[in-house]
Amino acid sequence: MGMSRAMTGDGGRSRAMTGDGAHPDRTSPDVARHRLSSPVCWLAALSALSATSMLRAQETQLSESAQRGKVVYDKWCMECHGETGAGDGAAAAFMLPRPRDFTRASYQIRTTASGELPTDADMRQIIDNGMPGTAMPAWGTKLGEGERNDLVAYLKSFSTFFEADAPTPIEMGRQPGRSAEGLAEGRATFEKLECFKCHGDAGSGNGPSGPTLRDDWDFPIRAADLTQSWTFNGGSTVGDIYRRLRTGLDGTPMPSFSDVIDAQVITDEQLWRVAQYVRSLSPEEPPRPRDVVRARLVTGPLPDGPADSAWDGVEQYYIPLVGQIIQKPRWFAPIVEAVWVQAVHDGSTLALRVTWHDRSSSPDPEWDEWLAAMAAAATDVDGPLDAVQGPDRLTIQFPGRLSGDVERPYFLGGDRQRPVYLWRWSSAPDALDEGAGAGFGRFTPRGEGGQVTHQARYDEGRWQLQLTRPLSSSDSTRAPSFAPGILVPIAFFAADGSNGESEARGAISAWYGLYLDVPTPPRVFVLPVVAMVLTAGFGVFVVWRAQRRESGRSTSEES
Amino acid sequence: MSRRLRETLGHPFWQAVLLMLAAYLVIVIIGWVSAPVPRTVVIQYMLSALVGVLIFVSDNEQRWSRFKEPIQRTLVEPERRRLRGALLVLVPALVGFVTFQQVRPTVSAPAALRSVHPASPVRITFRGKAMELATLENSLRASGDLAEHYAAGKRVYYQNCLPCHGDLLDGRGHFAHGFNPTPLPFDGSTIAQLRESFVFWRIAKGGPGLPREGAPWNSAMPVWEDFLTQEEIWQVIIFLYEQTGLNPRRLGVEGEGGHE
Ligand code: HEC
Ligand code: HEC
Ligand code: HEC
Repeated sequence: MGMSRAMTGDGGRSRAMTGDGAHPDRTSPDVARHRLSSPVCWLAALSALSATSMLRAQETQLSESAQRGKVVYDKWCMECHGETGAGDGAAAAFMLPRPRDFTRASYQIRTTASGELPTDADMRQIIDNGMPGTAMPAWGTKLGEGERNDLVAYLKSFSTFFEADAPTPIEMGRQPGRSAEGLAEGRATFEKLECFKCHGDAGSGNGPSGPTLRDDWDFPIRAADLTQSWTFNGGSTVGDIYRRLRTGLDGTPMPSFSDVIDAQVITDEQLWRVAQYVRSLSPEEPPRPRDVVRARLVTGPLPDGPADSAWDGVEQYYIPLVGQIIQKPRWFAPIVEAVWVQAVHDGSTLALRVTWHDRSSSPDPEWDEWLAAMAAAATDVDGPLDAVQGPDRLTIQFPGRLSGDVERPYFLGGDRQRPVYLWRWSSAPDALDEGAGAGFGRFTPRGEGGQVTHQARYDEGRWQLQLTRPLSSSDSTRAPSFAPGILVPIAFFAADGSNGESEARGAISAWYGLYLDVPTPPRVFVLPVVAMVLTAGFGVFVVWRAQRRESGRSTSEES
Repeated sequence: MSRRLRETLGHPFWQAVLLMLAAYLVIVIIGWVSAPVPRTVVIQYMLSALVGVLIFVSDNEQRWSRFKEPIQRTLVEPERRRLRGALLVLVPALVGFVTFQQVRPTVSAPAALRSVHPASPVRITFRGKAMELATLENSLRASGDLAEHYAAGKRVYYQNCLPCHGDLLDGRGHFAHGFNPTPLPFDGSTIAQLRESFVFWRIAKGGPGLPREGAPWNSAMPVWEDFLTQEEIWQVIIFLYEQTGLNPRRLGVEGEGGHE
């Protein structure tokens, strides 16, 4: 797998097979991996193994519960997980990660030790809640309790491994209280255990092993982006993360670290600290997209490049992107999951900073291997991928004309009647084209007189691109003028070259709005003051009148 | 203690205060359970509540003078000087704050006035062939094996529609969050209100085929005539109805559609 587990020297997860005799006929993937160094050999052994286990499963009579489960499975799960549970349903090629192959009984999300079977409750948990960040949906609201239990029984019938005794969950221990020192210790342990080799130093999933990572079915797999805990397959709480670290994600390169504790390289508490540190890399709450990106009016100079610390104080807007699956060639396995947008203007110039996560600065020869694996994964349902890595790309789209009208150009690249105005950036060569689009992929560069300037930087698995343009356009037939106080529709397209994303392949967003703040009009401050003075004056008057009447009454009573 | 409480509750002034509080609570709860209530609506509503409460307390002479009595005392009595001063500061401050909230510039996207089920055109051309929607029927219902059509339609759905409309047919596939408007669900009862020819039109022509009131420029629904044959579209329609256990509406038969 290209990754050596430097720490323990006992071959990592192979420890999981310690002779408890629970399932003697099961060869742990790790043992196999160590014995069979050639991948071909390994795959052959694997398919033989799953074929026999399937046959046996069919020989044995299905329990009543499993029979009921089969009916539900055939209706709702089969098209992804396959008729025989081999993860090869008709829809399988349209997603990455692929649907689980149940015949190998290798489950990612467990409470049991690495290499062990999941408990029934583990399987129910996945069926109920799905796997965030993948195509595996949550069935808790759709299917009844009984149906979900029946599904567990049926899934288990796909493999004879489940005939063994029920596995026991690992002991969790207790989470130590959180503290700044605890986080520092977590970071130190993160380094000691070399998590960065896969997940990157800042955790954005860009470790040096990235291009080599494959799952046990030889599909390319990305190390999780630890700064986006809402995409973790097994949940995002510290407890969830700790459990994943103890159990590993079987079938993926993500190892278990229980053996490191057993070998007394780290303590259990230190592993909890790692989990706390990992959780601290993501915001408390998953970010929510908002319809309008606000460009604040600044008085000083605009930020000078994407690394300028002036950007730190500017609000970030999260804009989710998804695969372009509307026009050919469609793309079902996009890398860029979101862009974060920041905007400011000074009344005459607009500056945007767009940040997105991308594991490579393409083209990068290190990633040729990954591109080959993507081509082999055949997720390219509408035609083959380019054999050569293209650049990374980001396109920002505005309407070709700005009118107060509700009507806009078609969100996916406009059309002839209503063209769009585009800023197309690509990483190699680092260049930006300004121009018009009349349909997705139909681009006419503006040529002379472009007004957009840009600066890009790639750092720690992250692109940051600053773009500036004067608000008023020098040629309104080719580019619209922006003005404060008007909502400007804006949309994004991003592509990762080393993932095979060329031309129409990539990730897209819906239309959002960009709003340039107007200078706060004086009435915003004057009106409340006027209202307060009037109210106070009226109050004083009422009190004065009441007291005068009261004293008038008492004097008349006296007399 | 409880006598004090009963006296307080029986006093028109405190009754009025309680009524106003209750009115405010009601609007807060409405905001929780349904859509959040805009600020201007809250203010208008509270003003009408105030008018109502004033009418209630002034409707009877004795109640009116009892209502005024604590106000009068606060205005004049020397021992209430502190309270009086506090009110003279707090009330204007509150008014100033509310005014500021009103005039403060805020931005929000204009509400999308979008007709979800606009009228379909009378006829369409599907891959160069003219079709009258009024008389268009799902030809597969009369020919061949329904189970086979269902199986074929299921494959079409899972290979094409799933990332948006979802495995659960609830409009929440793993790509759905990227689009606005979000993909429509099929597991509610809407497709039971639709004729199969309407659904055919929607699938064949997608978002760009919508009339202006459907905001075609925002819809991510692809134009499936570019990908699928006529037969495949009828198959996926059969799948949609079978999988959800709903029936399409039929021509001339009002309320025919519905649960099986
Ligand atoms: C849209 C296709 C799709 C459908 C439909 C689907 N799944 Fe999945 N399922 C997946 C994918 C993809 C994965 C693997 C995700 C990964 O590897 O990260 C998965 C994984 C699983 C896992 C493995 C979890 C683990 O710990 O490794 C279970 C169990 C499972 N699915 C059960 C079901 C059941 C039961 C149904 C039907 C009720 C179902 N799935 C329907 C796509 C699907
Ligand atoms: C050999 C490479 C490798 C190493 C080393 C590694 N990981 Fe991972 N990790 C992965 C991969 C690959 C995945 C994604 C699995 C998937 O998507 O199914 C992953 C997933 C995760 C997840 C997400 C779990 C979930 O529920 O989806 C977390 C959290 C995580 N790793 C933390 C760590 C930490 C902390 C360390 C170090 C102690 C570490 N990883 C070391 C490869 C690695
Ligand atoms: C890229 C996402 C996407 C894909 C893929 C997709 N749809 Fe849609 N679909 C939408 C969106 C968004 C809407 C709602 C907007 C609209 O009405 O155009 C919609 C609306 C519809 C409607 C109208 C429902 C109603 O109540 O009027 C039907 C029918 C439909 N889709 C069927 C399908 C079928 C069948 C497929 C697969 C062949 C499919 N869609 C694939 C996004 C998608």
